[in-house]
Amino acid sequence: MDTNTTSNEYVRGTLKTIVLNLLAEEKRMYGYEITQEVKERTGGAIALTFGALYPVLHKLEQEGLLVTESVEVDGRLRKYYSLTTPGNEAARAKTNDLERFVDAIRLLLAPKIMATE
Amino acid sequence: MKRLQENRIELLSNYLKKNGLSPELLPEILDHLACEAEERLWDGDSFERAFSGIVETADPDTLQILSVEHNHLLAMEKTLNDIVFEGRNKSYGAYQLRKGYNSTMQRSVLLGVTFFLLIMLLPNLYARLVPEPEIDDIGFEVKLTTVDIKPDVTPPPPVPVEPPKAEPQPSTKKFVSYDVLPDDMVMEEAVPPTIEDLQHALPGQETVEGISDIMDIAPPAAEAPAGKGRVIEAKTTEEETFIAVEQAPAYAGGNAAMAEFLRKNLKYPTQASRANIQGRVFVSFIVGSDGKIEDVHTLKGIGFGCDEEAERVIKLMPNWKAGRQSGNPVRVRFNLPIVFQID
Repeated sequence: MDTNTTSNEYVRGTLKTIVLNLLAEEKRMYGYEITQEVKERTGGAIALTFGALYPVLHKLEQEGLLVTESVEVDGRLRKYYSLTTPGNEAARAKTNDLERFVDAIRLLLAPKIMATE
Repeated sequence: MKRLQENRIELLSNYLKKNGLSPELLPEILDHLACEAEERLWDGDSFERAFSGIVETADPDTLQILSVEHNHLLAMEKTLNDIVFEGRNKSYGAYQLRKGYNSTMQRSVLLGVTFFLLIMLLPNLYARLVPEPEIDDIGFEVKLTTVDIKPDVTPPPPVPVEPPKAEPQPSTKKFVSYDVLPDDMVMEEAVPPTIEDLQHALPGQETVEGISDIMDIAPPAAEAPAGKGRVIEAKTTEEETFIAVEQAPAYAGGNAAMAEFLRKNLKYPTQASRANIQGRVFVSFIVGSDGKIEDVHTLKGIGFGCDEEAERVIKLMPNWKAGRQSGNPVRVRFNLPIVFQID
């Protein structure tokens, strides 16, 4: 639980990028599917809460990066999200940004490791 | 995969509603939680445990935050119109009008400006399209210039007045009128010229030896008034035609002679006699100052050849005695009735 909260702190800043990146790969996903996908890929290290995920999805939709379509599944309305053309570009840009940021963080952290070694 | 029963979905739905989740978010969150519940059931949990687990993640606070965030998001999208018309009948028409107000305004302003400019530029456009008239054209512009007109009256050169020539004077003999005086006062030399004296001379003021042949008495030439050398010729104006004059023109020989002339020359037109036509033909003509008859025409006729016959006879007439106005012969228009009567 403790590790989860710390990871949540970082996730909040990168959640947009994560969602966009996932949608760029999967084309069409619904909310629960995204949380499951993230959980599976990270081995449960990052768990998205629906309280954090849905506001981000709605915001991206309003910004015009995502479009939704409602499909009835098992008597329930399931809302699928997919990327628009500007959404695709935004996904690429954001992923690049994040990669560069991660590299920078790694550099920041690396000397310490090197020094200890 | 285990399906969640209807009543359990209902349970979840009620839980969400109870915690004030906005209805727009409900289907999505419900689906999410249902999926999670199914997953737990799949893992072998009982529904009660799964439900409590869900409630743990989706606690009222989280749902509350979700709703508020969603509302904020929607509020950003909302325009004033959406707020005004919230919960009202949007299909009534006013909402559409308000929503389209900006584009309508834009369009109308554009159209208005275009129309106005078109109207303003129309004369210019017309002038460009229609070529200017050439000077050679029938209609062209003439520039008016004021001309100062001066009367160029140069006085004519004075005609040299020739001094009157000394005309050949006829020889005259002094002829004095005598006063009646007593015998002793009568002067001796004042003897009147004798007939022999006046044979070759004219009686005059003085006794002048002249050409005895000229016996005409020429009045002394009136001297032309000095300075006015020009001779002004009197215009020969066309003679005035009178209607009524002091002395009316008359047939030479009187009315009886005219009646005789008419009886002799007037022939009753066969056409008229056949049609048993009789009456008066009024013929108008001008008796010139020389008595000649001209401009003969019928004023009022009876037809059947009578008018032409009357005119013919009038034209045949010899010259009349001209009418006189203050003693001078003048042109007079004369109307004469010619009577046609079957005996």
